[in-house]
Amino acid sequence: MLKVKNLSKRFDKVQAVDGVSFEVKPGEIAVLLGPNGAGKSTTIKSIAGLLRFEGQILINNIGNKEVEAKRAFGYIPESPAFYENLSVWEHLEFIARAYSLKDWQDTANRLLARFDMDDKKEKLGKELSKGMQQKLSICCALLINPRMIMFDEPMMGLDPKAIKELKSIFIELKKSGCAVLISTHIIDSIDEVWDKVLIMNKGRIVLIRTRNELDKKGESLEKVFFEATDSKGEGKE
Amino acid sequence: MRALLFLIRKNLKNIIKSAFKKPLVLIGYIFALVFVIGMIVAAFTMPSGLVRTSSPELFKGIMMLVFAFLYYTSLKLGIEKGSSFFRMADVNMVFTSPLRPNKILVYGIIKQLAGTLLLVVLALFQIPNLKNNFAFEPHGVTVLLLSVAAYTLAYPLISMIIYSWTSAKKERKKLMKRILDMAAIIVALIFLLDLSQTRNFTQSLGNVFGSPVAHYFPIIGWTGSIASSAVSDFNTSFYVGATGMLIVITGLSLLLYKMKLDYYEDVLAATEYAEAAIKAKREGRNMTFNLRTRKNIRNGFSGVGAKALFAKNMLEIRKSSMFLLFDRISVSVILSAIMFKLVMPSEIASSPMIMILAFSSYMLLLIQSQGRWAVEVEKPFIFLVPASTYEKLFYASLSDHLKNLFDGIVLFTLSGILFGADAPTILMSALSYVCFGAVFMYSDVLARRLFGRVHSKGLMIFVKIIMSIVLIVPGIIAAVIAGIATESELLTIGALGAWAFVLAITLFIFSGGIFKNVEAAS
Repeated sequence: MLKVKNLSKRFDKVQAVDGVSFEVKPGEIAVLLGPNGAGKSTTIKSIAGLLRFEGQILINNIGNKEVEAKRAFGYIPESPAFYENLSVWEHLEFIARAYSLKDWQDTANRLLARFDMDDKKEKLGKELSKGMQQKLSICCALLINPRMIMFDEPMMGLDPKAIKELKSIFIELKKSGCAVLISTHIIDSIDEVWDKVLIMNKGRIVLIRTRNELDKKGESLEKVFFEATDSKGEGKE
Repeated sequence: MRALLFLIRKNLKNIIKSAFKKPLVLIGYIFALVFVIGMIVAAFTMPSGLVRTSSPELFKGIMMLVFAFLYYTSLKLGIEKGSSFFRMADVNMVFTSPLRPNKILVYGIIKQLAGTLLLVVLALFQIPNLKNNFAFEPHGVTVLLLSVAAYTLAYPLISMIIYSWTSAKKERKKLMKRILDMAAIIVALIFLLDLSQTRNFTQSLGNVFGSPVAHYFPIIGWTGSIASSAVSDFNTSFYVGATGMLIVITGLSLLLYKMKLDYYEDVLAATEYAEAAIKAKREGRNMTFNLRTRKNIRNGFSGVGAKALFAKNMLEIRKSSMFLLFDRISVSVILSAIMFKLVMPSEIASSPMIMILAFSSYMLLLIQSQGRWAVEVEKPFIFLVPASTYEKLFYASLSDHLKNLFDGIVLFTLSGILFGADAPTILMSALSYVCFGAVFMYSDVLARRLFGRVHSKGLMIFVKIIMSIVLIVPGIIAAVIAGIATESELLTIGALGAWAFVLAITLFIFSGGIFKNVEAAS
């Protein structure tokens, strides 16, 4: 699971993230929403361990920069980047070595088959289209069998079949007890799968709602998003 | 570490494998390899000091100046952007993996070693030139390459340490930049003071940069001292320099390895920057870093249709210039004029304006090959504007001609004053400079019309440069004939300029229809 406590990050004069706290429990799918410049990317990079920050980020109750936390953490970045001269299979092999995985080949084959990549094993990183890169990025993150996984704009460049496959993967991850955090701009794309929504604006979490809470009030995700990120940027808790 | 070594091993293996799959690439690699081996053999075996034997003090001065400049620029950029051994693939896949940051840093340094090899190869190209002018010792080439290797290993380590310290507080960043700038200004002042006494550029270069203080100055001096012993015996300054650099490189590496490292953020910005630079290079353009945009420039759009392209280009030029059309290129042409005055060999002093025109046109060829036009066709707008091809081509390139005219007038007026040329020669030189700019630009357009959007931008630039040089040859012949027949510098330049003018018009006419053939970037 993921615990973010009082996360703050400042770049020079800009307070990109200001005292953000939230939690994603095992078997929960949380969606991070927010307009451009809300602080989502900074939050995500901080969770991925790429930035220094104030506050605390715990993955499975271990600081996110510790080796054991990283071992349980999968990350699909917004812009996948691969080694130009490594094949699809070699990328997976690298992940297996870096995470000390055993008997990973079957899982890798199964993942590639799910995303119609099983005939692309020998393709080099530089030969992959945007969509294929995104698929490989997802396969690499899933290969480690993560306990917490974070997707940044995961549908970007995917074909309809891959989108469908990914949505069923979200559900499978949830059932397996994995904590899932998805950051996206496309609200419709995650409408069927989310359990908790975290809406950010101007560096703060301005609204946290569960699906049950929204259902009880009969509100749509889109409606609460626009209400929470109104022109004044003052959300409601 | 085994996972990281796997990465390096597989990368290398696949590069070699993919070369064998493409015969043309393989031939290219073999050609490059033979060329490099040839350069190595030539560098080590060619006789030294045949053309002239300049003083060892001058060589030492040049080496010290080169390394001072390299350290200054790379450390300053390091403070601004950090320094990165990494690519985005490393950020996404390695930084997020359960591998210790220290091991990842070692992996980065190993990768940097490969980069060092490239710089060593580039240094090899300069060796024949240096050997022609200076009397090298038998160990000269080896120590010169050693100094280049020492620099390439040391500066990223120093950059990273400085960046880690400065990135925490903005004041530290300012302080560090100020220290570097002050040091540069002090060195420049000492040099100018010496120059005012000696009135001899080369002598002052030797005096200031070849002095013992400079040689024993930590890091910069040490690196320079290693290189300096190419023209002298192994002396104390060499041993001090070599030992010093060895301690610096191993010490900083160990320090970084032992430290509880949290450098991912520091290298993130630098990696993104490096990635953008690599992308830009592939697209055949240069990254402009630290270029300030003047936001207060407004109201640049007058004219409709294709004229809007001209207005837009002028607005862009004005926003990126210091005032009017005066920008970094203008500064560099002024500096080159002054450099010419200071270092021009006496054997070509009889026709300085021709030499300056030749040199500045060659520089223009290199700059323009990656210029505004190349950027314009990477964007969709020029394809979409509802106007004829000739109109679009003319107006899209007009701003560059004006800019060249501005720089040409600045360069040749200054050169004219320094070398005592008359007004018609100055004007003719400036106009010829503009015509050469037009030739280079329209030959680029024509190359794109003929070959379409070539995916290898490097190859495209190479073809274009060769094409431009071949096209100019008749003009050079005409100029030589005019020069011999009339002994007039004005008419020699006039012949060259006239040919460039005819050529530019012809290329422009043949370039029509470009937008029917060239493709926008996908």
